[in-house]
Amino acid sequence: MKRIAVVGASGFVGNAVVDRMVGLPDCSIVPLIRSSGNAWRLAKKGIEPIVVDLLSPPAVKAALAGCTHVINCSRGDEKVMLAGLRNLLEAAAAVSVEGFVHLSSVSVYGDPPAAASQSEDAVPPPLEKFSYGQTKLEQDTMIQKAARKGLPSTILCPPNISGPYSPYLNGLVDSLRAGQFALMDDASGPCNLVDVDNLVAAIALALDHGVTDPKRIFVTDAEATTWRDVIDGLMPLTGRTGGVPTITRDALRAAQSGPPATARSLFRSLKHLVSSDVRAALRKDPLWASADGLIRKSAAALGPGMEDRLRLSIEGPLPVHRTPSAGVLNLRLSAQQLRNVRHSSARAVAELGYRPIYTFAESMEAYRNWYRTMHRMNGPEWNILKGLY
Amino acid sequence: MQDQFRLALIGAGMITQGSHLPAALESRRIKVVAIIDPVAERARRLATSYGIDPVIAQNIDDVFGTVDGAVIATPNGSHKELAVRCLDAGISTLIEKPIAVSVEEGKAICDAAARSGRVAAVGYSTRFRESTTLLKELLDSGYFGKVKRFAHQFGTPGGWAPLSAYNLKRNSSGGGVLMITATHFLDRMLHFWGPPQDVEYEDDSEGGPEANCIARFGYRLGDHAFDGVAVYSKTCSLPGGMIIETERGQVKIADNDDAQIAFIPNDRPGIEQVIRRASGPLHDPSISVFRLQLEDFVEACIEGIKPMVNANEGTESMQLIERLYGSRKPMAADWRSPSRAVLQ
Repeated sequence: MKRIAVVGASGFVGNAVVDRMVGLPDCSIVPLIRSSGNAWRLAKKGIEPIVVDLLSPPAVKAALAGCTHVINCSRGDEKVMLAGLRNLLEAAAAVSVEGFVHLSSVSVYGDPPAAASQSEDAVPPPLEKFSYGQTKLEQDTMIQKAARKGLPSTILCPPNISGPYSPYLNGLVDSLRAGQFALMDDASGPCNLVDVDNLVAAIALALDHGVTDPKRIFVTDAEATTWRDVIDGLMPLTGRTGGVPTITRDALRAAQSGPPATARSLFRSLKHLVSSDVRAALRKDPLWASADGLIRKSAAALGPGMEDRLRLSIEGPLPVHRTPSAGVLNLRLSAQQLRNVRHSSARAVAELGYRPIYTFAESMEAYRNWYRTMHRMNGPEWNILKGLY
Repeated sequence: MQDQFRLALIGAGMITQGSHLPAALESRRIKVVAIIDPVAERARRLATSYGIDPVIAQNIDDVFGTVDGAVIATPNGSHKELAVRCLDAGISTLIEKPIAVSVEEGKAICDAAARSGRVAAVGYSTRFRESTTLLKELLDSGYFGKVKRFAHQFGTPGGWAPLSAYNLKRNSSGGGVLMITATHFLDRMLHFWGPPQDVEYEDDSEGGPEANCIARFGYRLGDHAFDGVAVYSKTCSLPGGMIIETERGQVKIADNDDAQIAFIPNDRPGIEQVIRRASGPLHDPSISVFRLQLEDFVEACIEGIKPMVNANEGTESMQLIERLYGSRKPMAADWRSPSRAVLQ
């Protein structure tokens, strides 16, 4: 009899795990959530999740009491992801959990990732401190350390996750509808996806494959999906009849990098201190307000020409706002096309016996069915409701 | 009665923290004299966070005789018992919506209000929106001509997370998204047009409180008939707002406290007009609907007049909710075709 704690049970993946595992023979599920706000998919089935604060070691220990397996789908801020995971690992070790499945992310390989990250053996590049990828990488290291100490573990590494309820696909649909997503070049670049049920299948297999030297395992759909495939699959939901805007790789790369970083300069920092924005904030205090009044009077006494020259020297010329060509782009989503690496789930197939349950086409069809039902696009009411979009 | 209205806040959860307490502290007419919560420490922390020093109690009996009115902001399933006890002790109550979890409980509150001669108001704060009051005036005066049909929807993936998580249990919430989210619109719909003649309803409950629902309404007002639809979700983001198709054109109102009434006339479909009072809004737009609601409650208590929404109206909303649940049909919930076993 397995007793499986699903941590982050109200999230997109956690919900799907509970959905598929509840009611299985020889298996009881302990759904753990951080707050009740997002737990409606569990609640509607009559499942009462347990609210647990991952930052509280006694609460985590109590929640894992009697559990034989843990599936960690939790997210949160850096503190929760690191300190929370530490508490979780300690509690799992304390109750001698037989299998700990952790969800990592392809973001540990950087953004864009190195070409070598087709395979999990690629070495993650140095990542920006406090970035999501860096935090996930630190989590992987924590799991590996706990495994070496005897906690059988598996690290699954999914790309963007698709299927009904997918927040990722919802974001793409919203951006496409608003005309804020641009396809790069001929859109033939790889778009790594895994259907949420395919991922759940991999998680279930991983429960019994915990090892003491876990390496990351990619879990993806079987097909070599391109961005064109994904966007074509979503366009029927957007109500847009024109094509999707396009952008060249160079323009997208330029938009992503933004303006060049300003070098550190003591003189520039001092000028910032006397800029009008900073002075306006300081004037809220009566003492600073009277000091500022004196400075302004002294500057005015030097004559209007001098006053203008001072202002120009401190704040520069008046800004002219030009609409940037990529100003309406959803860069976070569009720039994912620069990743250009297809992650292979060969290791998942070889080591876990992973076989995707759903094809990409079936996954997209299911997502479209879900979206149309939720938004009432198939019913007579769509005729009036579409006015709200 | 003192110079200031002595208010007790019953329940130190999220709605009190974020809405009722700040609204009460903004109002010169109100003094918060007590916060009552079974977890006294939570009430104490809340008071400290706002720099106030009210009586902290775990039981409402401890403050009887020292307060003029009370806001009941506790799980829905506890509203009736608390409201009746307050009213029987001579304390007027503003009950956070919905009034209770059944018509029977609503009626018990109405009876207690009648018995005590005190005010029992229900916290349908969206009634205080400028767009609601102006739309009601315009509909009543026939400004748009006859209504042809209407639609309202609101959806967020999750959201409101009360500290007690009562929202996820049918016995403490009384229902799901219909009871918690849709009830605001149902109250406004009743305010605009009264109870509908026909209702149809679908939701996705599989034993617990529903996360998604759709309600359809049929109205026959004299020789004029129209219908409407309302869609709510706790799992999916839906653009929130209301559309009313009328003889003169289409009315659109976003679902937020500051929304304006937009009108697209039939004879000029390419333009969108904003309708507002030439004299400016009825209330200073910087005043929150929760403060307007509290001050309306205080006014009703002091002047002995009807509050914006009284217990009878709150019970009418509950009647409609019970009618809808009574006509429930299951909602489609299988998106996979073919559907395969994910786990062997």
